[in-house]
Amino acid sequence: MKNKLIMFWVIVLLAITSIVVICTKPTKLGLDLVGGSRLVLEAQTSDTIAQITPDMMESLQFAIENRVNKLGVSETVVQRSGEKRLVVEIPDVSDLNQAKAYLGETAELDFRKPVMKNGEAEWEATGLTGKDLSRANLSTNSQNGQWVVDLEFNGEGTKKFADLTKQLVGQPMAIFFNGELQSAPVIREAITGGRAQISGGDSGFVYEEAKKMVDLLNAGALPVPAKIIEENTVGPTLGADSIAKSKIAGAIGLGFVMIFMAIYYRAPGLIADLALVLYGLFLFALFKAIPITLTLAGIAGFILSIGMAVDANILIFERTKEELKAGRTLFTAINSGFDRAFTSIFDSNMTTIITCVILYCCGTSIVKGFALTLAVGVIVSMFSAITITRNFMHLIFGTGKLTHPELFGLKASEINDSFQAVETSREKAKFGILD
Amino acid sequence: MKLDIVKNRFIFLALSALLLLPGIVAMIYSTITYPTHTPLKVGIDYTGGTTLQYGVKEAITNDKLASVRSSLEKGGIENPYLQIINVNSQQDTDLKSILSIRTKFIDEGSTEQEQITNIVDSEFDSPELVQVSSVGPTLGMELFKNSLIALSLALVGIVAYLTFRFQFDYALAAILGLVHDTLFVLGVFSILGLVYGVQIDALFVTALLTVIGFSVHDTIVVFDRVRENLKYYSKKMSFGEIMNASINQTLARSINTSLTTLITLLALYFLGGVTTRDFVLAMILGIAIGTYSSIFFCSTLVDVWEDKKVPGKTAA
Repeated sequence: MKNKLIMFWVIVLLAITSIVVICTKPTKLGLDLVGGSRLVLEAQTSDTIAQITPDMMESLQFAIENRVNKLGVSETVVQRSGEKRLVVEIPDVSDLNQAKAYLGETAELDFRKPVMKNGEAEWEATGLTGKDLSRANLSTNSQNGQWVVDLEFNGEGTKKFADLTKQLVGQPMAIFFNGELQSAPVIREAITGGRAQISGGDSGFVYEEAKKMVDLLNAGALPVPAKIIEENTVGPTLGADSIAKSKIAGAIGLGFVMIFMAIYYRAPGLIADLALVLYGLFLFALFKAIPITLTLAGIAGFILSIGMAVDANILIFERTKEELKAGRTLFTAINSGFDRAFTSIFDSNMTTIITCVILYCCGTSIVKGFALTLAVGVIVSMFSAITITRNFMHLIFGTGKLTHPELFGLKASEINDSFQAVETSREKAKFGILD
Repeated sequence: MKLDIVKNRFIFLALSALLLLPGIVAMIYSTITYPTHTPLKVGIDYTGGTTLQYGVKEAITNDKLASVRSSLEKGGIENPYLQIINVNSQQDTDLKSILSIRTKFIDEGSTEQEQITNIVDSEFDSPELVQVSSVGPTLGMELFKNSLIALSLALVGIVAYLTFRFQFDYALAAILGLVHDTLFVLGVFSILGLVYGVQIDALFVTALLTVIGFSVHDTIVVFDRVRENLKYYSKKMSFGEIMNASINQTLARSINTSLTTLITLLALYFLGGVTTRDFVLAMILGIAIGTYSSIFFCSTLVDVWEDKKVPGKTAA
């Protein structure tokens, strides 16, 4: 009984924490539910690009999508519009200024060598560029602790870089990013390892600067320069009118579920309702704390996980009823109800979690949102249905014989008195063995 | 109430075939006749379409949005996507908001465009058409293919887990049940597409995923009971009897579980927004058929296979 009280207070504490999280943290909702910002990007022609072709637009769209993903903005829509425009819609929650800074940048990295032209020193392109990189990493200089960008070249890049550094021994080599000189270290010996570092000159990089460079380099350069030509805020793609109605409908639906549980399962049904409310609190708090951007797909996962949470309770109660009918005491009936329902709950939820993990790893954005909310929901539901409901049932009903069968929706005549109930030990019940 | 599933098993298998057949025929017919060559009528999320943007001098309310939507639907504009764009105050214009209407591809200056403009004209005080542009798909074929690959991998994962926890037979039956349920929902939407022009959107994929999740979940609960009963009664009862008993023992639970999920979904269908109605319908159909298949279809399959394994043994 003492353990049960401790567990009870743990549950109360968790509920309070959840309420605090819910009240203090913002809810992240996707474009389809609350809208966000809408940026229109236009591909620009330049000296080298006379005309924008559909192929260019396709690779531009790919590059922009890539960058948006690097930014960690979830649930963004990138769409072609007309011949040379892209519409990027970003949920309300993201940092718009940061997004804007990322989207327009070209991210051209190139290495240049010194040449003398008309008696003046100039930097000349060497053909070694950002395209020859396999990846960029953010790290710190071990001597002065400044932020630096580590570069790793791909096979071809390694060879080009080795040739270039061999040629430039004793001379400086310049690294340009978006046409700006970053640093120009003097080459002491040929570098054949395929690695280089950009230090950001004497003053070094600020963290944000270095991080942005790494992200942009990893996302790849834009095939065509693009400019943001329009910027607006947009309402939800699913229509504000529809969402307002669905919110009320969802609440009514859940209300009916709770009434149904209470009428059909009586006292345990009410406990399950309470567990369901707590489940909702925990889950909502988790969504905010992680944070997960909720879209309609995510809410579908949420609804399904509620269904599964209710299902776990139903499984347990049906089992407990069977045990009570067999004449067992409340304590044994509740315990064996839980223990015997456990394998079904575990196996069905494990399958769901496996599916979610695979969908999350391989799927595309809508599928990901669904998989994530469903997986989190199922894990929390196992806790709520098994730990919370069981704890409350034991605390409320105690250990005696069933004196009020109507509390479980049973008739006294249904209880089998001839069955001489022997208490089953927990260990045996776990394996489904009843005495 | 006691159901004798095993005795009538071929009736139920025939019923399943009967449920699936019209949909399959509709999907084949659609694949041949639709210009997109898809088994279902696909919406602009997959094909792209046209966006018309009307600038208005007022802030658009939800009621206004709902009213435009129903007028457009009455006017025969299929599945319009309405979205409000708020104009930044810094911009040099007296327009307050822009109503963006996305629909299938329409030609500039066509009668359809005129019709939409007329409807918008009747709802707002002198709106102006600021832009007509074509938009690409938000859910391109590439994305769609990736989702299918992810789904196939997930199925392999389910089979592996169920084979480990149960037997390969049960895993296979659960997967066939899932295919059964998915085909049913796809079939119904294919028919709805042919008869009422219902289009599937990006959300439909999510609805199918939900159906799949529920279908497997439901089947496992029945199988778990079979597994448990086999442990205690396999000497006293035939497999058919055990199967029957297990289904009956889990029947109340199966029905109550789908009932609780259906209550929420029905509330969303009848009282919720129009834009998610098809999405909810797909889930309602899927959960209803999922419950049916776990009781009548998957268990029957296992029972038929079990009979094949033991020659001469008859069911129940």
